[in-house]
Amino acid sequence: MIRCEEAMARLWEFLDGELEDVEEAAVRKHLEVCHRCYPKYDFQRAYFEYMRRTSRHGEGSVELRRELFQKLLEQEAGDD
Amino acid sequence: MAWTMLSGRGVHQVHAGRERAPRPEPRDEATVLAAEGFAEEALPWLDAVHGFALRLTRGDRDAAEDLVQDTFLRAHRFWHTYERGSNARSWLFTICRNTFLHGKQKAINRYEDSTVDLEARMETIAAVSAWGTGSKRPDREFFDQLIEEEVIEAIDELPDEFREVLVLSDMGDLKYAEIAEVLDVPVGTVKSRLFRGRRILQERLRTFAVRSGYVQVEDE
Repeated sequence: MIRCEEAMARLWEFLDGELEDVEEAAVRKHLEVCHRCYPKYDFQRAYFEYMRRTSRHGEGSVELRRELFQKLLEQEAGDD
Repeated sequence: MAWTMLSGRGVHQVHAGRERAPRPEPRDEATVLAAEGFAEEALPWLDAVHGFALRLTRGDRDAAEDLVQDTFLRAHRFWHTYERGSNARSWLFTICRNTFLHGKQKAINRYEDSTVDLEARMETIAAVSAWGTGSKRPDREFFDQLIEEEVIEAIDELPDEFREVLVLSDMGDLKYAEIAEVLDVPVGTVKSRLFRGRRILQERLRTFAVRSGYVQVEDE
């Protein structure tokens, strides 16, 4: 089994879903049984969940959508 | 997929990867556009591009909305150059960033660092370790205590090269290869900047948390 240091060095790539199958399995196996690393994994997982919630800040307003759509139609009319 | 250890002392449920946003559905009102496929492939990413624009402009809502409009108008004008069914999201993020940089007359800083993978992994270790010393072990409830405005402020204060990678990954759900395409840099550079950005952000959040009393410091 890989050591804590190796598992932690790959933690973000593991959570990003960017590791090859063999490496992913090794990290997963380590986290399943390591009481020292699991809380760090769980904390980073919470970070991603938080960032995803925060990203909803980016929802464009109805006005923006309407204005953009209008400009797209005008651009198409101008192309004719 | 969840993997659970069935025997032994520890029973941790571990998930590889993270939940990513599904592709948004196209909106009916836009289907009258003549540009074939634009309504179905490009417009659903408006909110995602708007989120990226907001962080590029460091929360300037007017500038972000102008940037979104410029991005989509440009994408619409050059829609014939887009390969249908490829990756509209990455393509739009690329246009958005280039439009922003062009507007600011900024030069794109390109560099290649041969030791980038090693550095990136060291960044992970450093970040994970930083939370393990000097304070009680943080847990997921830490994030429930944070004030969203403080987090947004911390993101906006990141240096450009770290901020854009972090936003594309952690808020925009792009994979490393997609970010590399948007920024026109090697994947190793993406990882290095991303991990460094996360480390800086998490250290700043920790500072907020300590200052606000969310995390107790034992030996500082």
